[in-house]
Amino acid sequence: MNYLNNYSNRELNIWAELILNVVVSFYFIPKIFPLIINGQLYGEALIDIIATSIIISIIYSVSVFGSINIFIKKEDKDERDYTFELKSYRMSNIISQVSIYLLIGLIIFYPINRVRLTELMSPPMIAMLLFIIALFSSTVKSVNQLYYYRKNT
Amino acid sequence: MKKHKIKNQIRRLRFEANEMTQAELAEKASVTRQTIIALEAQKYSPSLELAFRIAKVFDVPLEAAFQYN
Repeated sequence: MNYLNNYSNRELNIWAELILNVVVSFYFIPKIFPLIINGQLYGEALIDIIATSIIISIIYSVSVFGSINIFIKKEDKDERDYTFELKSYRMSNIISQVSIYLLIGLIIFYPINRVRLTELMSPPMIAMLLFIIALFSSTVKSVNQLYYYRKNT
Repeated sequence: MKKHKIKNQIRRLRFEANEMTQAELAEKASVTRQTIIALEAQKYSPSLELAFRIAKVFDVPLEAAFQYN
């Protein structure tokens, strides 16, 4: 417990966010791929998985973020926090944009066995891909932020 | 690793100011203690406004607290 004193409230919150992303990814991704059959994703099962992911996130957030803010003194953000946050969000934003443009390009232009993906991409499939992009860019943001905090401490 | 060109005398000034703690300086300059730690380790270059605030806390001119190499 003593080593936690080396981390500020903000850093611990970022660690907690990163762990949440990893937990949701480990829960979500292995369950989602078996649902893809012949390029189609079965939407009803997806709803259960997304609902469970949201419930896990809420329980985790209330317990972990709550504990951090109770036990470790919260400090107001200063210019250094804002600088690191902006740099990290910039990186995360670039990743989401590039991924979304790639996804759009893939859907529109890339034919598989002469069948355009437009015909294979059902709305649940697109929702799943967007969810994975969001999860990935959020993870990159947290890792980047932690890197800046550790590098400059 | 990026070398910061702005050097500072914050650690010396703190000790000259009745051994002011990092937490006290952080509170007076309205920043977090982590920012003061990073500044003293010469790993963070402050904004002009923060540099002025810190110099004001010690009641010294800006160039006595910060130097550009």
